[in-house]
Amino acid sequence: MKRLMPSLRSKKRYLAFELISEEPVNRGELVREVVSSASALLGDVLASECNIHVLGFEAGNGIIQCSHTKVTETRAALAAITQVNRARATLHVLGVSGTVKGATEKYLKTHVVFEPKLRAAKE
Amino acid sequence: MGKRKFYDFCVHAVPDGDNSVEELASLARHFGYSGFALTNHSDKLSQKRPALPSLEGFEIFRGIELVEENPSKLHGLVGKFRKNVDVLIVHGGSEKVNRAAVENSSVDILNHPSFDRSSGINQVLAKSAADNEVAIGLNLRAFLHSRGSRRIHLLTDLRANLDLARKYDVPLVLSSDAMSCYDLRSPRELLALAELFGLEESEAFDALSTVPERILARNRPSPGNVREGVEVVEEVDFL
Repeated sequence: MKRLMPSLRSKKRYLAFELISEEPVNRGELVREVVSSASALLGDVLASECNIHVLGFEAGNGIIQCSHTKVTETRAALAAITQVNRARATLHVLGVSGTVKGATEKYLKTHVVFEPKLRAAKE
Repeated sequence: MGKRKFYDFCVHAVPDGDNSVEELASLARHFGYSGFALTNHSDKLSQKRPALPSLEGFEIFRGIELVEENPSKLHGLVGKFRKNVDVLIVHGGSEKVNRAAVENSSVDILNHPSFDRSSGINQVLAKSAADNEVAIGLNLRAFLHSRGSRRIHLLTDLRANLDLARKYDVPLVLSSDAMSCYDLRSPRELLALAELFGLEESEAFDALSTVPERILARNRPSPGNVREGVEVVEEVDFL
């Protein structure tokens, strides 16, 4: 099928995030939790309008794509995550960008996932 | 306009919650808060007053969440703790306790007012809450940890209280009610949730920033404070 022209493609925002969790989590588990949280909080209709996709997730950091008019709703759905695969977790959005490159370079390049226990011990 | 400061006015640490104050504070600072109030439940306090750690660029306020079923005992507890804390919260949940809390101007925040099939606030309580400047607390932990019918009920109660708060001009305070560091959410996330739940953007901002600052200003008089209503703003040498 012919690709959609750039001007006709839906506009998106990219949310760079970190996942602070008790146990290490893989991408599949996170995807399942994001989708179920969005559908529970927003309902299937609004969740589909948000167009949420987990683009990449590695070592606690990742990028989530959503519709450019539904950033608030997406943020709320992500904040409603309390556990991933039975391990307690909290998802922290580091920043929002219009391109994947922007989100990666601005927010993820030098970011190290926060671990409360280690940081508290250091200070 | 300068950068807004955000405060989380309901956080529980050991022995009430799961994590130490240091862990919660370092995570909250990482999330972008300017400070939080440590408000352990009054029935789960440790014997001695815990020393609060100091972090650069982050303030930890002393607070307490009073749990008491008997209104006259509640008033006694309020009097007992008022001098030692910056933030005094009452854990509501029955008509008598809610009424006692909103009628006592020494109380800062009333949390969890809803019970049975009621949102816990009516026009009478809303009016006296506004007169006594008692804020209604919106605690997000309950919303995050429940789903389906339970969450629907919580949201219905929230809407009812929000309508009354708007009509009678009752202040609102948005907080995480965190029991562990995994219950903390960054200010932006709290604002997004609050907006989704029906608050206006400005109302959500006030509930996380302006109202907490007002509570602090009330309970921590500035150095120039002479007595209520009289303050030395600037000392000028008249000679």
